[in-house]
Amino acid sequence: MSDLDRTCREIEPDLVALGAGEAGGAETERVERHVARCAPCRDELTRYRALDGMVGTLREGRLAGEDPTLARAELEARLADLRSRVVHFGVYPSALGPILIARSELGVARVRYLEGGARSLAAQVREALGEDAVEDEEAVEGLHRELVEYLEGRRAQLDWTLDLRGARSGFQRRVLEATARVPYGAVMSYAGIARAIGRPEAVRPVAQALRHNPVPIVVPCHRIIGSDGALVGYAGKKLGLKERLLAIEGVRTEAGPGDPRVNRNRMYALQAGETEYCLPTCGSLSRQQLAGLTLFGSRRRAEAVGLAPCTSCRPDLHPLPEQG
Amino acid sequence: MVKVMAEDAFESIVAAHHGEIRRYLLRTTGRATEADDLSQETFLRAFRAFRGLPPDANVRAWLFAIATNLMRNHFRAQSRRRRAYAAVAVEPRGPDGRPEAQAESSEARARLEGLIEGLPLKQRLAFTMRKMHGLEYEAIGQSLRCSVDSARANVFQALRKIRRGLDDLAPVAMEPER
Repeated sequence: MSDLDRTCREIEPDLVALGAGEAGGAETERVERHVARCAPCRDELTRYRALDGMVGTLREGRLAGEDPTLARAELEARLADLRSRVVHFGVYPSALGPILIARSELGVARVRYLEGGARSLAAQVREALGEDAVEDEEAVEGLHRELVEYLEGRRAQLDWTLDLRGARSGFQRRVLEATARVPYGAVMSYAGIARAIGRPEAVRPVAQALRHNPVPIVVPCHRIIGSDGALVGYAGKKLGLKERLLAIEGVRTEAGPGDPRVNRNRMYALQAGETEYCLPTCGSLSRQQLAGLTLFGSRRRAEAVGLAPCTSCRPDLHPLPEQG
Repeated sequence: MVKVMAEDAFESIVAAHHGEIRRYLLRTTGRATEADDLSQETFLRAFRAFRGLPPDANVRAWLFAIATNLMRNHFRAQSRRRRAYAAVAVEPRGPDGRPEAQAESSEARARLEGLIEGLPLKQRLAFTMRKMHGLEYEAIGQSLRCSVDSARANVFQALRKIRRGLDDLAPVAMEPER
């Protein structure tokens, strides 16, 4: 192999670089010095330069199907949808244990009791919200403040806009909406909710729907009880929480042989469709099942929603003994 | 407030890079529908991962890396499908990728395109990122999960192969048309 051949081989990468417009000063100088006395490499360099020119033309040329307008519009729509589903959340300590609050662009999407202790909070949050949720306490700080006031009994209303797109079905959504209408300081039965949504036979499905309430407290499923007054169930096995939430609102429960229960004989009662509330002993109620009633823990709570005392049993003149 | 700003930032990323990423995918897949799907997927993934991106990251290189990764998976799946089809002797014939472009290009350009298409995938991607999109070798290395040197070597190998493929053309005929 001649010296020139060896030089040709050694210089080849620099020659390619120069032809492609990527050579530095030293390489350029070396290649130029070489091609001045080596015709084949000179030809090679010319070819690489010509190739670079062709590549440049290709780069500048139009591509078939290049117009991105439609693809872009479709992408924007997908992103908007994705964005509206992104939830921001915070986890706060509360009198009821750690609570997760999450909101989307549209409203509050999730409230959840977390378990302190064994399982990590992060894992529980992921389980509740998926991977894409963003921890952002600032975004839910106002909600948290109101919730604290509520749990301390200083606020009777959580006027939150809800994002119920996560509801499992239209049925669940109707159950949640009917439950949201049960006033502060009152209780109603699962059968009552089933009647309210026009599906009186669907008592168990109503209970199921509330068992998976995505926004407990805000949609007050704690105000829904069994037809015999028993609290029945809450957020898994958290009956104690249900009792405490009711106590905050002035609804007293009694320990029974089974679950704690609301004693309808110590509650004011409203019949569906009426505008007056009654004493439990009012004659008009005698054969009325709990499914047809809303029970109030105090006159104040009944009158807060615009109800008047019944003109025959006169709860205003003969109030029940104050609940403790 | 912070998140609102981040989302606006993502909008400007879409505005700045969607066209180019789609063009890259169009060049490498040769089909508008595939470029549409893969570019959409690229940006949806980017949107999900955007929050974890360091503020000083090279967003363009990052998007090329996501797109490249999706495309390579796409090609792998496609070749699996093709093998499966071949096994039952039904060769799928898709619509010609670039009829319009080929009709209007010179023979030399058509040959150049053919040579690029015939390159091994990694070289083709390295070449396209470097020569069609002017990406730095570092970014190309990130996209192809290889070193800077290897990225450069892939581009140079591609250049050599293309150059050899055009061997019979006189240098003059290779001159770009002006």
